[in-house]
Amino acid sequence: MIESIKLFINQITAPQISFTAIILLFFFIFPPSEGLYKFHKKIGLHKLWTNAGGKFMMGALFLFFCFGIMDENFRLIVTKADNVPIVGLLFLVVFFLWFALKQGYDNDKRIEEGKGPIEAEDAKEKVLVWPDLVYIELIAIVGCSILLLVWAMGLAAPLEAPANPTVSPNPSKAPWYFLGLQEMLVYFDPWIAGVLFPAIIKLGFMAIPFIDNNPKGAGYYTFNERKMAISIFLFLWLVLWIFLISTGTFLRGPNWNFFGPFEYWDTHKLEALTNINLSELVYMIWLGQALPDNILIREMWGFLLIGAYFVITPALLTVTIFKKVFQRLGPVRYSVFIVLLLLACSLPIKMYLRWAFNIKYLVAIPEFFFNI
Amino acid sequence: MSKEPESHYSIDKLHFIFALAALALLVIVGGVFMKDYDRKWKDYQKKFRTYEIEVARTTYDAELNELNDDAAYQELLTEIEKAEKDYEANCLGNDALEQEIEDLETQKILKEQDLKYTNAERDAAKFRYENAVGHHVGDPKATKGEYKSFADRAKTLKREVEDLKVALAAKTEIKAKCGKQLTELERKKRRITSERDIVERKLDAIDPNQMDFTNRVAQMVRDLPILDLSTPTTEVKQIVLKDITDDRIIRQVPKVDRCITCHLGIDNPAYKDFPQPYKTHPNLDQYVSNDSAHPMEQYGCTVCHGGRGRATSFQTAVHTPQNEEQKQDWKKKYNWKADHHWEEPMYPLQYTEAGCFKCHSGEYPIKGAETLNLGLQIIERAGCYACHELERYKDWPKPGPDLTHIASKLSKEFAYKWIEDPHFFRKDTWMPAYYNLANNSDLMSMARGQQEIHAMVNYLFAESQDFNLSKMPRKANAENGAELVASLGCYACHQSKPLDGDHDVTNDDLRRQHGPTLTGLGTKTSKEWVYDWLKDPNRYHPETRMPNMRLSDQEAADIAEHLTQDTHKTFVMKSIPGFDEDIINDITMEFLGKQMPKTSAEKKLATMDLDQKLKYSGEKLIGRYGCYSCHNIKGFDNAKPIGIALDEEGSKALHKLDFGYVHVDHTKHGWFDQKLKAPRSFDNHKVKAPGEKLLMPNFRLSAHEREAVVTSILGFVTDVTVKNKIKPRTPENLQLEKGQEIIAQMNCRSCHKIEGEGATVQDTIVDWLKAYQGKTDSEAEKFLTSFSPPDLHGAGKKIDIEWLFNFLHSPDVEVRPWLEARMPTYKFNVGHLNTLVQYFNTLDGEDKFPVNPKPDVSLTDHEYKQAEKLFSLEYLGCNLCHIVGNETPTGTQDTWAPDLTLAKTRLKPEWIIEWIKDPQALVPGTNMPTFFDPSDYENSGAPDILDGDEDEQIRVLRNYLMTLTPDKRKTKVKVEIPASDTNEAGASEATP
Repeated sequence: MIESIKLFINQITAPQISFTAIILLFFFIFPPSEGLYKFHKKIGLHKLWTNAGGKFMMGALFLFFCFGIMDENFRLIVTKADNVPIVGLLFLVVFFLWFALKQGYDNDKRIEEGKGPIEAEDAKEKVLVWPDLVYIELIAIVGCSILLLVWAMGLAAPLEAPANPTVSPNPSKAPWYFLGLQEMLVYFDPWIAGVLFPAIIKLGFMAIPFIDNNPKGAGYYTFNERKMAISIFLFLWLVLWIFLISTGTFLRGPNWNFFGPFEYWDTHKLEALTNINLSELVYMIWLGQALPDNILIREMWGFLLIGAYFVITPALLTVTIFKKVFQRLGPVRYSVFIVLLLLACSLPIKMYLRWAFNIKYLVAIPEFFFNI
Repeated sequence: MSKEPESHYSIDKLHFIFALAALALLVIVGGVFMKDYDRKWKDYQKKFRTYEIEVARTTYDAELNELNDDAAYQELLTEIEKAEKDYEANCLGNDALEQEIEDLETQKILKEQDLKYTNAERDAAKFRYENAVGHHVGDPKATKGEYKSFADRAKTLKREVEDLKVALAAKTEIKAKCGKQLTELERKKRRITSERDIVERKLDAIDPNQMDFTNRVAQMVRDLPILDLSTPTTEVKQIVLKDITDDRIIRQVPKVDRCITCHLGIDNPAYKDFPQPYKTHPNLDQYVSNDSAHPMEQYGCTVCHGGRGRATSFQTAVHTPQNEEQKQDWKKKYNWKADHHWEEPMYPLQYTEAGCFKCHSGEYPIKGAETLNLGLQIIERAGCYACHELERYKDWPKPGPDLTHIASKLSKEFAYKWIEDPHFFRKDTWMPAYYNLANNSDLMSMARGQQEIHAMVNYLFAESQDFNLSKMPRKANAENGAELVASLGCYACHQSKPLDGDHDVTNDDLRRQHGPTLTGLGTKTSKEWVYDWLKDPNRYHPETRMPNMRLSDQEAADIAEHLTQDTHKTFVMKSIPGFDEDIINDITMEFLGKQMPKTSAEKKLATMDLDQKLKYSGEKLIGRYGCYSCHNIKGFDNAKPIGIALDEEGSKALHKLDFGYVHVDHTKHGWFDQKLKAPRSFDNHKVKAPGEKLLMPNFRLSAHEREAVVTSILGFVTDVTVKNKIKPRTPENLQLEKGQEIIAQMNCRSCHKIEGEGATVQDTIVDWLKAYQGKTDSEAEKFLTSFSPPDLHGAGKKIDIEWLFNFLHSPDVEVRPWLEARMPTYKFNVGHLNTLVQYFNTLDGEDKFPVNPKPDVSLTDHEYKQAEKLFSLEYLGCNLCHIVGNETPTGTQDTWAPDLTLAKTRLKPEWIIEWIKDPQALVPGTNMPTFFDPSDYENSGAPDILDGDEDEQIRVLRNYLMTLTPDKRKTKVKVEIPASDTNEAGASEATP
């Protein structure tokens, strides 16, 4: 029984399944549009952001770890001194997500009732820097010190063998905060995953204040008034960052192979990974002919596809679901926004292309070290 | 601040929380110190302290008892007592004197102090005066006066002090004289009790019961947390080595071994029965102690044992359990876990000798490393080096017989059955098993295996070249053959039957397994072949290590007759499956398919007949299994060995060893052991085509043998950290090692004792003496030395270089004609011969160049006559024991000694002098009588010869020996044969 549960979990945690499930669930839990929001309330998902919902989520997570820790392989990975903070991170992410959204939902309710956000009432009350702020800060400092000391004593530094340039550890993992980027390397050429995307992420952060000109939600928590903004942000944060970090930490084993949480990390595990480029798929498999010699003709389809993605998709979006957004942002802001959004979405798209068609690169010009 | 401002939170509550948090922080900070302070090694050191006290107490008590039993000491005590009384009575009673001395002493001190002050004042005044004169500061006159007065006073004081000193000395002398005897006695007592005093002082320092209160408190304070930073009683002890390093890949850092932090009694023999970690090193003669070959201070611990030297806990030092039982025990006791992060874990106890090899890799054998030597010798016998390249065995001949003329020796049936299961024919053969192993014993593989053997046998016989066996005498006597085999020394390299199964094989056993065990020869081959082989082994197998025994035709025939009488009946009855063309086609296709596309391969196959297929696939299979690595096979002259090189196998990273689906300990030694035990088992549960399977055959080694071989393999490492400690590569050392290599290769130690090891053949000589010479046990023991091949101790000093060279080349000179065991003729080349000659000479420090010029050995007529006299029975009676040409000595054979007519060419003249002078000094225990008593040398010679000058006597005797030649006998001595008492005069050299 327990074994079959573990086997089931191992199977559904495979990124193809878990990622799809998370994306599908995501838009019901964090509905970006009015219609989905109504449906979301109708099936009662908004109750997640109540006290009971918080207890439920934290409890479920806790129970999962309790269940998992009994398994030797799970225990080995989770209790590795490097990974313990990531386990803590999971709990913290869930807690703060709940904490923020609960306040947002509470405010939404108050606003609906015409009472205005709770923060507005708070603002009337005076709070002194001393003792109210400074004292609790002091207590927090002491508390943190205790936590750090206990942690330092309880978990020894994860020292390994003396560094040897001829023996690289398997798996070779980046620090946890880079594991999202490392996970991207599975799907993208290093220059994209390691250079372009990190740069775009930073530029994106800088662009947020200029793109987001919605005055709603300033100084108070709300979900209803900023559904789309919150939903897009959480998608990038939870799905494209936290999910990838946890996958990289817990589910990637030797040779960067995927391992379920209860699976033994066998160095010899083999996966069938024969990837092809789009040009090969088009010419050799679909058209049944040899690759053209001319690079441009060969890679034409990839360029076309990427071109279409960045030209046709925005056009379509502008006349359909982003109509209002376009009106509100104006052409310049909207263009920046849509480019950033499309770039972000290219990650899951590429992941699916890999899983569905074994696509390695859409454009592959190894002659010039240029692959997309 | 009269009024508390209004606050959002309850301040009292915050105070309370803050107090709690602060308290918790305090406790935690205390915990940090405790955790830092609490180290297991401190407990070990504290425990050791109690043991130390225990040991010191025992020693102290023993010393005390010894002193109590020591009459001289007791006497001394009474004497001291008496002297003390004397002293009290005569010296101490003189209170006035004492008082006087004391007064003088006080006065002297006071005066001295005064002098010191005055001197200082004087010097200051002097400066002021000089300054006044030179720099015009102050009044020169006044300052001069000041200076003068101080100077005068200092002078007076100085004189007074000197006077006091003289007076005091005079008084003290009176007193000292009085106590002189007592002081002398006390000194004597201290000399006797010095050892006890040392132990006593030690006890004072370590035993709390023996300490005063202040010391005890101080001891406690020293060890308190934080305060223990200065001089704690417990501390990390370490050895830092500059010329052995820890390999940090990027750079080499000095090796630091902290093992002695816990292994506290390692260098002290007193702890040999104490529990770990305090136990003494089991071999202090060789290791750890300061006067051993490997002192701890110069070698540390981990360089030999492996493990992490800088660690100070059981786990981090990477101790490795020697078996499952110890593993479980350690898990319980130390919470032990396998540490995969350290690439050189400690060797488990049974493999410890692996550590010797990194520095002693050139030596044969490595002295003192029994297990390692056994392992290396097994590698030599099994011929591991044939498939697995090993630097040490680079130029060694192939271990298996030549197969280019196989048809003249074996039948196809025999060859088939032999390959199928060599151990069935001969339990202890070194030919390993290729079939019915873990990865080819399923029904399909077995069927395929049968056809594979057919193919290989067919290839071998098809390629076998003609070989004419020489004609054998018609009549042969098996009984005589048996005696010859027993007496000639065949059993030095061959066994007559395999060893018992439960017997742990030793180095001696392996020397007797140099050649195949002589069983079942009648089944294996023909009498004629054996005859031909015995007559000239090199004809059939040019590289063979079987030497030529120089047998006469009749002797060879007799032996052949005897050896082929033994047959293996069950082996003969084994049936051979027939050809299965389908499988043969499969095999052929497999190889054809590698050379050409499948369609062409199929076409090609259709054109081949069965013989062609067999021969084709046979050749390919021989190539796959690497049969040619051990055997000369036609068509494989330049083929490379098929195994991986083993030179760095011991330092191979663990993750490079594929454990497959076999559940053994994930350690290097676990893998090696499994590989030797069941070489193909790492294929278990793997899906593999026949061509992908593991190939290593099974040598059916016992657990004991595997342990030895694993020890060797673990020792095959590249280790740059010890480069300063490796024996220097001087020409002398290289010569010695090269010589040792040939000696190991040719199995010389089987007959001769060389460097104190060997002479394995002696057991079989005892058997022969008893079985064929009718000797009783004790007689056989007595005759053994003279009927055994000689001990080669000191051969370099003794044997003439040229003679040795010639003898090794063709040893048909009968130095000891009575000996039945025969020095065979080896096919040494000039290189070998030179190496051996150099080896023996270097070993005895005779490798100087140029060689000493030959001394003048001429004799005047008078000297000649005197020498002849000395030689005769009248004086020394040399020919009582020594053979002289064709004249045999008169004594019994146990005292016979080498032919003296060979001395001229065979012996170094300087050596003969030394030898006659004092044989026992050169070869302790030799039978050669000592004619010239070394303790009274001047009077030991016969007084009536050459004026009783011993040196002259020895010289002329030596020169006389140099005139003896086998053909030109210059002396004839009539000897009355004494009926008994031959032992007294008789002598036999124990060496050649």
